[in-house]
Amino acid sequence: MIDPRIEKLAGLLVEYSTAVQPGDKVYVRSTTAATPLIEAVYRKIFQAGGHPYLWIELPQQPFLLYKYGSEEQIRHFPEPYQKLAETYDAYIRIFAEENTKALTHIEPQKVVWFNQGMSRYSKRLVQRMSDHSIRAVGTLYPTSGYAQDAEMSLVEYEDFVYCACMPDPEDPVGFWRAFSERQQRIVQWLDGKRRIQVTGPETDLTVDIGGRKFINCDAHVNVPDGEIYTGPVEDSAEGCVYFSYPAVISGREVSGIRLWFEKGRVVKASAEKNEDFLLKLINTDEGSHRIGEFAIGTNDRINRFTGQILLDEKIGGSFHLALGFGYPETGSKNESSIHWDLICDLRNGGKITADDQLLYENGRFVIEG
Amino acid sequence: MKDPRVEKLADLMVNYSLGLKPGEKVYMRASTAGAPLIEALYVKILQAGALPYLWTELSSQPYLFFRYASEEQIRHIPEPNMMLVSTYDAYIRIEAEDNTRDQNQIDPEKIRWRGQAVQEYMKTLFTRIGDGTLRYMATVFPTHAHAQDAEMGLEEFEGLYYKACLPDMGDPVGYWQRFSRWQARLIDQLLRGRRKIHILAPDTDLTLDITGRRFLNSDARMNIPDGEIFTSPVEDSAEGHVAFTYPATEGREISGIRLWFEKGKVVKATAEKNEDFLQEVIHSDEGASRIGEFAIGTNEGITRFTRNGLFDEKISGTFHLALGAGFPEAGGTNESGLHWDLISDLRGGGRIFADDQLIYEDGQFLLTDDGHR
Repeated sequence: MIDPRIEKLAGLLVEYSTAVQPGDKVYVRSTTAATPLIEAVYRKIFQAGGHPYLWIELPQQPFLLYKYGSEEQIRHFPEPYQKLAETYDAYIRIFAEENTKALTHIEPQKVVWFNQGMSRYSKRLVQRMSDHSIRAVGTLYPTSGYAQDAEMSLVEYEDFVYCACMPDPEDPVGFWRAFSERQQRIVQWLDGKRRIQVTGPETDLTVDIGGRKFINCDAHVNVPDGEIYTGPVEDSAEGCVYFSYPAVISGREVSGIRLWFEKGRVVKASAEKNEDFLLKLINTDEGSHRIGEFAIGTNDRINRFTGQILLDEKIGGSFHLALGFGYPETGSKNESSIHWDLICDLRNGGKITADDQLLYENGRFVIEG
Repeated sequence: MKDPRVEKLADLMVNYSLGLKPGEKVYMRASTAGAPLIEALYVKILQAGALPYLWTELSSQPYLFFRYASEEQIRHIPEPNMMLVSTYDAYIRIEAEDNTRDQNQIDPEKIRWRGQAVQEYMKTLFTRIGDGTLRYMATVFPTHAHAQDAEMGLEEFEGLYYKACLPDMGDPVGYWQRFSRWQARLIDQLLRGRRKIHILAPDTDLTLDITGRRFLNSDARMNIPDGEIFTSPVEDSAEGHVAFTYPATEGREISGIRLWFEKGKVVKATAEKNEDFLQEVIHSDEGASRIGEFAIGTNEGITRFTRNGLFDEKISGTFHLALGAGFPEAGGTNESGLHWDLISDLRGGGRIFADDQLIYEDGQFLLTDDGHR
């Protein structure tokens, strides 16, 4: 029997997140590892009157491309996919890896070629998302690969993911609507504030947010969701941060990260594990030395680190900074080829103030209600 | 462990059948039930320097499509698919089903809508295959469902399949090259320039005019497994009657089919099972009651009936007629939405005459030299 939670999740993605209307063209990109969810989404799109296009990859496909493809082949991005990004009305991305470390031994240069080959597509997608001509949502299907990274059994991990996606299983849409309203009150409170200070263990950071906008993440662009984010003024960050959670990028884990900022720029960085890699990444370009995003995770069902950024950045009681690219819709001007999220737990004595008023303490907003 | 036969098959398809060159764009349509072959082909395509596009479908997808889509949704053809058929250099189709009967309960009206919707796609496909701008290759991947249709265990069916596809496991390409030369000799010595074909077998006595028509040599370029020679007979020439030994599957199984022809047209048709359905198919359009293809199967690895058209029409010792669309490349002019292969065994005393010369008896060609395939 199909897991009834899959059917509900498909409903949330199609009817709420992307709100598919009759005649809408919708593409779904995933791997065969997510077959039950793809099938449910496919059905829901028909029932909503849309025209689905399934872009399904085999779990081994990226590895095989990198292993056997030449530079020309890796860079080749098929025109039919470009057409999807150019002309479709909605896009549902379902991450579903059987093995999250499959690319560990692939030369990083090959991944760069692939991303460069895909950049016309990615840019068009981001552009159309920001002018709202395409509605796109990203979600994750619980696979054994992800469960292994989270150090859970698949059954436990499924419970964890579905609970994070649908905290109220009886009324998933109703939950996110109410959640959005509550979160909107915090965003409104922050509107017009100029200066944010975060303090916690080994952490004391100030950023300027004058003129910048906080965005309310309420299961339209990500499922699960739950965060508010902005792009701080690029030359404003001062102080230091200790990131209590490891950061995973291209399958490599960097942990025990500490960053020191002056005038918005990283002036010192250290890590307990893979420090070389951290320093290399920070030196990618000018923008990668600066903060592109400041965000607070608000999904209380995500209460532990799992190694998947889509989930980890939403951990209720955490905040994260991203080095690199900032989102123009927040007012950020930071440009970079990287956007690297680093997460810090605030549940142990952490505090956030805005213009010297207490906003958040021990992982909870104190201005609610 | 990976089945090494899969890799050999992929190599044959990419490097012999399609002969892919660096920079050529190739798309491959298959269901996820064919994943091992898809992966092997993907690697071979990359190694050949070509640019693959995988059009992978869930094995449940066709059923879900017909079950949940409205008429408007059924008639929608995604533009990316049209881009593939109109701009790519090669196309690989792998039939790999988890259940060959999963669409049996679908309203035939819906399948007709889809048939109409894909006409532009199909027309582009056939036009480009015909003018040589698109190379096409089709195979079946052995699944439990295909084994079940053949009434065999999967391992037995895989044995049959790979023996039919790769009769010489040590030199698959060399085998098909030799095979192609052998078939070319059959055509040259026994059929080129002939005017009349006469088939005599139990309950069968049929004559066809093939004046001006060409016999074509199917040698693992477009189908794997392969092994047949075929032509399109003159459209108003068929006279006599045929009993088909094997059941035909066109959604539903029809068995014990007998057809009577006058001036090329079916004038009487009977079946032991599902005769109503037979009548419906024959009357689906004007061309459906005429012969579009006459062919002789030559693959000795296919020793039994499997209920899969790609296999059964190649059974050595059989001939088949197709009602419906003919092949322009053979000189055929019959047009129809149907191309329905009906197969008959000639191993029990069947004979074929070309201009009154006996050329085929008991499932064997009577070559003047001792040609070896």
